[in-house]
Formats: sequence, structure tokens, C-alpha cells
Amino acid sequence: MSLAEQPILVLDGVDKTYEGGTKPALDRVSFQVARGEFFSILGPSGSGKTTLLRMIAGFETPDRGRVVMDGEPITHVPPFKRDVRTVFQSYALFPHLTVRGNVEYPLRMARHGRADRARMALEALALVDMTSYADRLPHQLSGGQRQRVALARAIVCRPKILLLDEPLGALDLRLRQQMQHTLVSLQKELGIAFVYVTHDQGEALSMSNRVAVMREGRIAQLGTPEELYFDPASEFVAQFVGRSNLIPVTFQPGDGGHVAVIDGERFPRLNAAKAGPARLALRFEAVRVVPASEGAGDLSGVVEDVLFLGTNLEVNVRCGSLNIIASIPAARTPTLAHGQPVNILLDLSNARVFHG
Amino acid sequence: MVDQLLTRTDVATPALSRPRRFRLINLPVWAWLTLIVLLPNLLLIGTSFLRIRNGFMTFEPSLANYQRLWDSAGFWALLFRTLKFSLLGSGIAALIAYPMAYFVGRGVRRNKALLVTLVLVPLWISLLMRVFAWRLILGQSGLLNSFLVSSGVLDKPSEAFLYTSASVVLVFTYIAIPYIFISTLNAFEKLPQSLLEASEDSGASGLRTFLHVVWPLTRRSLAIGVSLAFLITVGDFVTPAMIGGVDGTTIGVMISSQFGMANNWPYGAAVAIVLMLCCGAIVGIVMALCPARGVLLGDEGQRPAARDTPGARTLRLAGSLGVTLTVLFLYAPILLMAAFSFNASSMQSFPMAGFSLRWYEELAGNQGLLVAAQRSLLVAFMVVTFSTIVGTSFALILHYGKIAGARFCEFTIGLPIATPGVVLGIVMVLGTEWLKIPSGVIRTTVGQSSFVLPVVMMLVLSRLRRLDPSLLEASLDLGADKIRSFVFVLFPLIRGAVVGGALLGLTLSADDVMVTLFLAGPQQTLPIWVFNQMRFGFTPTVNAVFALLAVACLAIVIVATRIGAKARGATA
Repeated sequence: MSLAEQPILVLDGVDKTYEGGTKPALDRVSFQVARGEFFSILGPSGSGKTTLLRMIAGFETPDRGRVVMDGEPITHVPPFKRDVRTVFQSYALFPHLTVRGNVEYPLRMARHGRADRARMALEALALVDMTSYADRLPHQLSGGQRQRVALARAIVCRPKILLLDEPLGALDLRLRQQMQHTLVSLQKELGIAFVYVTHDQGEALSMSNRVAVMREGRIAQLGTPEELYFDPASEFVAQFVGRSNLIPVTFQPGDGGHVAVIDGERFPRLNAAKAGPARLALRFEAVRVVPASEGAGDLSGVVEDVLFLGTNLEVNVRCGSLNIIASIPAARTPTLAHGQPVNILLDLSNARVFHG
Repeated sequence: MVDQLLTRTDVATPALSRPRRFRLINLPVWAWLTLIVLLPNLLLIGTSFLRIRNGFMTFEPSLANYQRLWDSAGFWALLFRTLKFSLLGSGIAALIAYPMAYFVGRGVRRNKALLVTLVLVPLWISLLMRVFAWRLILGQSGLLNSFLVSSGVLDKPSEAFLYTSASVVLVFTYIAIPYIFISTLNAFEKLPQSLLEASEDSGASGLRTFLHVVWPLTRRSLAIGVSLAFLITVGDFVTPAMIGGVDGTTIGVMISSQFGMANNWPYGAAVAIVLMLCCGAIVGIVMALCPARGVLLGDEGQRPAARDTPGARTLRLAGSLGVTLTVLFLYAPILLMAAFSFNASSMQSFPMAGFSLRWYEELAGNQGLLVAAQRSLLVAFMVVTFSTIVGTSFALILHYGKIAGARFCEFTIGLPIATPGVVLGIVMVLGTEWLKIPSGVIRTTVGQSSFVLPVVMMLVLSRLRRLDPSLLEASLDLGADKIRSFVFVLFPLIRGAVVGGALLGLTLSADDVMVTLFLAGPQQTLPIWVFNQMRFGFTPTVNAVFALLAVACLAIVIVATRIGAKARGATA
């Protein structure tokens, strides 16, 4: 294997159970991160994603398994000897040091000369557009500015891997979107591997090369954003990534296999190898809604509520015992209203069926 | 002496803000700080320029007292020695208490509350008793000598332990440890774990993390603790008088004798002023050496406790050992005294003669003691009632009333806490003399209130500052008027602080010698009676008195902790 192909980070069968904990925080977790990759770890709170990050940083040691960085096993190397930097969720800026002092801190620890430090710190601050705030103390900055300083502090030494622990969690929507662009272009510019932890599927999908979805200490699915979105491996992933309806469906024997029955309606287009109850995961945007007067559909129902989301409308339709949500392009004049009878059409080409 | 490392909640603006203007309700605050703090201190300054003629003060302003001090080599030696004792005592205590607070604040997971209480309880137990108990250890027939002789290290008991400067420094260290511990413990507990991790993540080893992150963020609290311990010990004339002998005399003893037997108030006042100036300079230097910078925002987050590495385990073992030794050091004298109170012999030496209750029986028949005890109760009741009601009101006025110069008022009213005990004593003598308050119970009550009231006020103020201001706004919003908001919302929230302040005030009052000695005249309180007993010959009855007092103090601490736990449970 050539050097370029060797992964920058390998986790190999990592287990971790906290003292006094009954369930493992991490359960046989293995994955690899390639050089210069933007790798995200996505999961709900308590799924073990932060533990995983802290293990890469060196703040936790695995009970079993190995952590290998750039070919070197680092399982028991203390954090301050690892070429890994973290952007903490709380930013963790040193309150007694100026912005410059904070960014120079890792350089000081690496025993760089004074002139060197000043130059490199300014360069890092320039990358995040914070040069003019160099002499302020952290409490004199806004949340977004503190975020940028934390980022500058983490990249000033050009580590091999940058870990980001929900770094955008405390920012408002506009800043969050702006920072997403900053992070992606920064990552391209630096060529450092980013390991990004988040519970926000939008962030994970938009920025990453690959995403690992975590659930209860295990990796539920690992793949590109497209794979996760269009080909979820489980109900959990389908629900967590993107926005899906989970519709109960029964497969009954019919011509050429088993045919789906939803709410009493037969769907000859949808077949399965197995009979019995299952759930159908259907993205909101795979559901179309037409007013009852304008045409037929797969199911008929009544509009319960409509959310205006700017580019889209989310329409919640009551069909018998089911609630099905459709995402349709927003029109200038609203055509759907509460209580209106509608027919809905299901686009089953990207639908996934989960048995059990 | 305000901690600069405030968390964000501390700087929240109070509700009900109103433009600053003169209001009648502020009058008591100004009256108190003028009559009880400013005026007596000005009198002290004024008195120092007067002279004594034929045993009476005469109004002949001059610098004669200061001239006399300047020329007196003995005074300079005494001043230097006093400052040296206190600085050494506080310094050694800092070396013990600071690492211990680090360990308890960050390393201990189980029984932390118990450990903290153990270190703090001695603060509540009579200072007089703790100092006196050291004589049982250091004296000629004390524990140390008995041990050394019986183990063959010494042939005969040594006189080298008691009545030396080293013994004074030892007892000052003993007094200082809890103060420094409590003020630094809070700083270590507030330190967010994520900052330590960020430092380690940036490539800093444990030692460098300490130097560059932990120390800068905790040094101001250490400076405050050391200053507090320094001010308390520098004004302490009881310890040197009981433990120090000739070599251990301090300037506090000198000042008290000028206001006592030597009866030269102007000269004593001049000495007090020079002492105050030196204290101010030293506290200033200590603070300047330990600057605080930046503000903890409170959102840095608390992470799981320290990780288990082999190094950490060794450190934890060493820490536990250190804490155990320190706690033993703090309790040895107290336990020893309790043991001697049941000793059948009147000799305070080892081995003990056997179990007996005779000293407790003697207590019951001692008329002087019973009268003094009753008087102590009366004084404590008046001081605590007055200080709690007025101190709480002052805190409310300062926090919500938008009084002009609230910071100045708070600082000035709190000044007596930071005044060395002996100086506060003579300041209050001058003030009450001028206000024509007769010596005795009333004068003692006023004098003790001068430092109990600010304690209550500051405890309540700090609670008020930590309150979420929107709670009161919510109550007003929900239709309660100000009075009902106070009764149903505000008071239940600050009750813990009020009760805590009252109980602390109770022990401060019941224990006070430094100030009361100057004010009580013939109407002695219990500690004064005991202090005089010990000066003019000793009876083991004193052991029994102290043992009972210690039990009473412990009972108060337990009650206070219970109430505190309940209050926390209610707000959690």
C-alpha cells in the first residue's frame, strides 16, 4: 500500500463501557478515514459519537480495540502527544488569554520562537477572518467570533486530523450556514482530514465525503451522503437521515409475489419476497398531493395542516388511520387549506421496505 | 476584594431597575456606614494625632506619636515580626490548602461534601478554644513532650515548643488553612474541564497546563484567601498572648495593652494606623502578584472527572494521604481538649488519670461562668436578630434599590470584616465612646454587629446576584405585587442564605474575643471570662466549657447543613 493510500486514521474494533455504566458507550466500532477526507459522525444524543471523538483525541482509552493514526498505533498515547486538534463544542477558549494568546498557545507548547508564533497565529486568524480581533479577550467576542478563534487555534499547527465536536450547535441559522461554507473551503485549502461530530443531518449531508450514522454505540450505516439518503440500510437511518414517512404496510400473496396493502388499498407496483407486516419508508418529497377535484390518486384524505417552509410546503394529510406528510414546491398562491379533501400519489421508486 | 472571575450569572442586571436618585429607604444604609464604619475610623485617625497628659487625652494635634514610633527600634522590630508571623503562617497554609483544594475540587468523586465540611468545621469552633488546645500539645507536659520522652528521643520534657515564635507561626498556619481552602476550592470547582482538555489537546503536558491555564485562573482566589488569612492572623492578639510568650509577642498585643493597662490611646491609635497601612500595602502587593484576567462565561461546560491513568492513581493516593493528614492536624487539638475534659486529674499531662465528670459538675456550680454564659446568649441573640434583619434589608436595598454608589456602600460596610481584629476592637471603642453608648451589653452588641451584619449582608447579596432576575419579573408578570412577590418568591429563594448568615453570625458572636474584650467592661461574655481565667491561672473547667461549646457549634453546623441541603433540594 502506497503512502497516499494509507488511511490517516483507523479505528479497529473499539469497545468502551464507562465506569458504572450498564450499556457500552461504544460497541465494536471500526472505520477508516482517508487523507484529506471530510468524515462525519452523525447520531442522536447518547449514541456514542462524542465518546468516539474523545477517543480519537486521546481523552478516553478503549477497553478493547486499537486506534491507529498514519500507520502508528496511538491507543495509549496521551492527548498532548497526538497530532490531533479538537474544536470543542463549548469552544474552550482560555478566558485569561487574548485571541492572539489563544491561537499562539499550541505553538508555545510546541516551543516555536516568538516571531514564528506571531506570524503563524496571524496567518491562522486571517484564514478565519479574525485578524482585527487579535487583542481582544474571549468574553469580548460574540459566539460566532469565538467559534472562529477556536477553529484558528485548532488549525494553527496544521494537525493531521481536526476533530470538530458539534461546533455549530450554539450558532444561529444564518451563521451556521455561513460557517458550513467556511469549513468546507477551509478543509479543501488545508487538506487536513476533518472528523466532524453532529446530530444535525443537514450539516452532515451537506459537508461530508462520508458519514457514519451511530446508534447506541454502534455504526448503523457508513456511506456517502447519497447512499445514506437514497439507500438507507435500516429504518433508523431512514428516519434519521432526510425526512421520511414510515407507513405501515402488509404484504399479501398476489400475482407474481407478495403485493403491498396500505390502509386497505392494494399497491401492485410494490412487491416483496416476504409476506406479513412491514414498514415503508417514503421521503416527504416522494409524496404528491392533488386536490380531490383535480384528479385521482393512490390514497385519498383530508389536509390537516400546512407548514410554509419557504421553497417548500409541508402538507400533513390524514388518510384514514394514517398521517402522511408531503413536501411540495411552494406556490405563490396557496391552493391547499385545512380540511380540504385531497388525493395523494406515492412515488415508490426510491421507497424502502423494512420487515420485522 | 471582588473576585474578577465572575461567571455570567453574577453580572446579570437586577430586575426592577430604576433611575438612581435619593430615596428615604437608602437612609439607614448611609446612617450605618457613617456611624459604625466611617466615623469610628476617622476617630482612630484623629486620636492618633492627640497626646496624653496626666493620664488624660488632650487636644494638642501633633505628630508626636508617629515621631515616637519612627524613633523606636523596638516598634519596628515588633512590626516586622508581626508581619513575618502572619505572612509565614498564611504562606505555609497556602502551600497546604491550595493543593488540597485542587485535589478535593477536581480529583475527589465520593464523599466530597463530607471532606469539605470536615475542613470547614474548625472555622465554626471557637478560635480561643483551638488556640488554647495547642497548649495541650506543645506545653511542657503536653502531648508532644510526653511522646518524645516516652519514646526516648528526649530525656526530659523540652520547653522549646511552647512560647516561641515557631509555635505562633504554627498556630497561625492552623488558623489560616480553612480560610485559604474555602476560597480556592470554589475556583477549582468552577474551572471548566474543557479548558484543561483544550490545553492538553494543544500539546501541553500536565505541568504546563497547570502553569499556563490552572494557575492564571485560580491565583486570584488564592490571593483573596491568603489576604483574608493574613488580615485575621495579623490582628490576632489572643494567639501570641497564649502561645507566643516573650519571643512571640506581636503588635496586636502592643495595641491592646495601649488601650488596656498602658492606657495611652493616642499612641495605640498611631500603632494601629501604621499596622493598617502595612496590611493595606501587603494585601495590595499580594493582589498585584496574582492578577485576574478575562471572564469565565459559564458555558464552557463541565465534563466527566479526571481519567484513570496510572499516574493519576498515584497522585490520588498522595492526595488522599495529604488530606487525611491535614484533617488530623485540624482536629487533633480539639479532640485532645475534649478528652482532657473527662480527665480525673487537674494536671494537664499524660498519661491521663482516668475518667471523671468532675469538671462538668464544677461548671454547674460556677456562678461567674453561668452569668457570663447567660450574657453571651443575650448578646448573641441581640446581635443575630439585629444583624439578620438589618443585614438582609441592606442586601435587598443594595441589590434592588439602585442606591447611588452601591459598590462603595457594600465595600465600606464590609470593611470591618477586613479590619484586623485588634484594630476593629479599638475602632469600636472610639466610636461607641463618641456616640455615648455605655460599656457593657449594649456596646458589645453594637461592636459585634459591626462585623456580623456585613457577613449576613454579603451572603444574602451573593445569593441575590446568583438568582435568575426573570424569576421576580415572572412573579410580577403573573400578577403578584412587590410585597407578595417577596413573600412567595424572593424570600423562599434567599432563605438559605439568610439562615446560613444568622448561624454563622451566632458562632462569630458567641466566639468573639478580639472586639468584645475592649467593649464589655465588667460585663464579661463567656469567651472573655474564659480568656481571663486562662490569663490568671488555669482550671481544667475550661476544657469542659470548650467541649460543651464545640458540641453546641457542631450542632449548629449540622442544623445549618440540613437546612442548606433542604434549600438546595428545593431549588434544584
